[in-house]
Amino acid sequence: MKLFDNKIELGGFAVAGVVLVFLLPMLNAFVPEGSFLHFSEYHIGLWGKYITWAVLAMSLNLLWGYTGLLCLCQALFFALGAYAFGMYLMLHAGVDPVYNTALPDFMDFQGYTSLPWYWAPFGSGIYAIIASMMIPGILAFIFGYLAFSSRIKGVYFSILTQALTYALSLFFFMNTATLFGKSFILFGGNNGLNNFGEIFGFGINEASTKRFIFVGSAILLLVVYLLIAWLIKTKLGMVQQAIRDSENRVRFSGYSTTHYKMLIFVGAAMIAGIAGAFYVPQVGGINANEMVPAKSLDVVVWVALGGRGTKFGPVIGAIVVSVIKSYAQVEYPNSWLIILGAIFMFVVLFMPNGLAGLPKQLAPLIDKLKKKTSASSSPATSSAS
Amino acid sequence: MKKLFFVLALSLVSSFWGQEDSRTRLLLADLVLERASDQNALLSELAESGDSFVTTFVAAWRTGEVFTYSSAEGEAIVVVKASEKYFELSSWTELELSPAQIEEVEDNKNRPSRRLRRTLSNVTDTVDLASKDVGTRIDAALKLGQSQKEEYLPVLRARLEKEQNGSATEALKEAIAISLLANYADAEELQQAVVLLGNYHSIASKSKIESVRDKALEDGDESLAAAATQSIKQIERHEELLRHAGSIFRGISTGSILLIVAFGLAITFGLMGIINMAHGEFVAIGGYTCYVMNQYFGDRFGTQSDTYQMFFWCSIPLSFLVAGALGWLLEISFFRFLYKRPLESLLATWGLSMVMRQMFRLIFGAANVQVGNPESLSGNFEFWGLSMSAARIFAIGFAGFVALLTWALLTKTNLGLYIRAVMQNRNMASSLGIPVKRVNSLTFAFGCGLAAMAGAVLSQIGNVGPEMGQAYIVQSFMVVVVGGVGNLLGAGLSALGIGVVDQILQPLIGPIMGTIAVLFIIILFLQWKPGGLFPTKSRSMED
Repeated sequence: MKLFDNKIELGGFAVAGVVLVFLLPMLNAFVPEGSFLHFSEYHIGLWGKYITWAVLAMSLNLLWGYTGLLCLCQALFFALGAYAFGMYLMLHAGVDPVYNTALPDFMDFQGYTSLPWYWAPFGSGIYAIIASMMIPGILAFIFGYLAFSSRIKGVYFSILTQALTYALSLFFFMNTATLFGKSFILFGGNNGLNNFGEIFGFGINEASTKRFIFVGSAILLLVVYLLIAWLIKTKLGMVQQAIRDSENRVRFSGYSTTHYKMLIFVGAAMIAGIAGAFYVPQVGGINANEMVPAKSLDVVVWVALGGRGTKFGPVIGAIVVSVIKSYAQVEYPNSWLIILGAIFMFVVLFMPNGLAGLPKQLAPLIDKLKKKTSASSSPATSSAS
Repeated sequence: MKKLFFVLALSLVSSFWGQEDSRTRLLLADLVLERASDQNALLSELAESGDSFVTTFVAAWRTGEVFTYSSAEGEAIVVVKASEKYFELSSWTELELSPAQIEEVEDNKNRPSRRLRRTLSNVTDTVDLASKDVGTRIDAALKLGQSQKEEYLPVLRARLEKEQNGSATEALKEAIAISLLANYADAEELQQAVVLLGNYHSIASKSKIESVRDKALEDGDESLAAAATQSIKQIERHEELLRHAGSIFRGISTGSILLIVAFGLAITFGLMGIINMAHGEFVAIGGYTCYVMNQYFGDRFGTQSDTYQMFFWCSIPLSFLVAGALGWLLEISFFRFLYKRPLESLLATWGLSMVMRQMFRLIFGAANVQVGNPESLSGNFEFWGLSMSAARIFAIGFAGFVALLTWALLTKTNLGLYIRAVMQNRNMASSLGIPVKRVNSLTFAFGCGLAAMAGAVLSQIGNVGPEMGQAYIVQSFMVVVVGGVGNLLGAGLSALGIGVVDQILQPLIGPIMGTIAVLFIIILFLQWKPGGLFPTKSRSMED
């Protein structure tokens, strides 16, 4: 099976792979600081973050672009994955000088002396990584079962996923939850998890560790890309796209669309979760602000801007919007939200296929221009006609 | 502070003076001028008068704002100083005094004697018992009972003999019983009082009965302890009931606001196929309209004037017009291109929402702004011990009004007929000569106007800020989905239902867990009825 549509895509993939996995980390490690070619530590962190967001956008594209499910809880899955791995990091943050315990600060502050049972296993890194995929996966499984078996679709699905995001973000904003008269400590509330120390025994703030995580994220990006490229060519992927185009016809052809949709939904949630796990060590923290409904809408906008239903569109969209955001936030602190909002409105109205669809959209226009210029440049033909 | 309050109260009294009984003033004037031996009769008559002026006057007398003065005719008169002016007490006319005369007046400060002061405090405490206003009488009785002072017991009993009003009688009986808890003559009387208070569900006396019970347990008086326990249980049950009633009331009022917001959504989403993520920002427009009007009226007329009170009533229609006009503009320039493309509209309107929120921040600042309450909406009403804020009662009434208005618009007017026709089949309506474009613009403007009116009402209950709409938007979408898209009756019922369930759950598991639970209940509800309460009937496969 051919994974790539054409040589250009293969070339682009190879170049991106070489640049992200080898070139940039090497420029960071071996080119001295101050040199023009030096890729700074700050940029390693920044672009590492963008890469995990790109993976998140790809996972949403799998749902929205290929299955027609506009999911407004993708950033929630991402944040859950980030929390799961963040818990591991938190438990390895070292002994805190103020309270003299290895417990996370907010637990000391609440007067806890031992880890609650649902926190304890996250001390193991392997467990945390598996959990960062399984927790979003299980949530997606339960929610998907409820939603798809009662044939909630289209806009209703979007609204329900938004409600789920809203509910869980409220939950994570709390410090403690009281259920049946018993109080449970949660995940740091407003402040979330931060001040990490080490990751698998390496100092999290060391340049080499950062470089390593960056390479890991880049590999994740490439693997997920290949996975999606492969998936959409399989029978599963074909059925998936058929569901997007006409769900009823697929159902009448004897396929259980519920099962297919659940499979995709769970898979996309797991991809988002692992992306979150790579995100948290690079930004040094996670809090409930990262899972508010607006974040999930942002992801949708990345995909829309890049071009949904294309393999590389979401990656472009996520990176372009993030770069614009980083730039505008500094240059126009008061109006960057207006700029961003205006871009969204413009893209939806005038670029229905996003950036990836732009060449096709502009093709007729360019043709016309070419004809015009060729017509004006050869007066003989124009006078003849 | 006390002085200031007195000045304020007196100037209020003086402005309403013409309607009041001048007998109180004459009695007071006599009291000031009379020899000590003759004052007792006057005192009891004053207590009977029930005129709250007595309290104000006595306070002034104590602080040295009362003077005796010989008038031009050589007659002794009583002068009261209020708001830096001098009044003759018995006729309440302002005296035009020269600076020399003022000095003379000020020299003749009159203060009640120590013995009189003690008796006077009894008079001022009990004068409200005879007030003309039933509410004041009830409050006074309960306050006296609550103080459990023995000397008030005969006063309360004497008043009970004369009392005609039913609820005031009840209050007096309750007050006497509360007083008896401390001042009982014998064990039987105490037990009777305890039982009576239990029957009255007297929340005010709960802690006092508890101490009676504790003492009875100590003394080994089992029957009294049992009676007290029984009474406490009765009171607690009543408190529980009030709590539930309170939650239901708050739920209905929260639901009412949701209802107005959701109506606008139901129209734009259900009828036009647009998911308007910026709907919440139209709510904020309503809130900010209120804020601007509040500022404007305050600057223009001063916050003390009666005209200022009108700001809220002006801002409700104004917010409708402002948001409606903006909605209309946006429809012809923007939303028009998004019909029947709900997912795309969701994205584009999310961009719009971001732009609008940032605009609010730039114009009004990132922090929440404060909107004043007109007097008519700032109080509390009490029914059977259940306290309800006027603003919330207004929200409920207003939601009912909006529901009626929308219903009338959709069913009784030509525009409504057009709206329904366009909603059912855009193309066919168009071919029948219905001006589809104009109907769309007007419908959309109406939906936005509704959101803004909800925002105006919200400004009286919650905060006004750039993010205020965001808090409502998720819930409002749920309301529309639960009700059945495009179905106004469904939207109304689900809004009230969601509001009430939310408020009932909140005291049980906390506000945030309550909201979360409601959202999960909704998700589960949609398992049972995926199309909402009243699903749209259609033969189309895709609906």
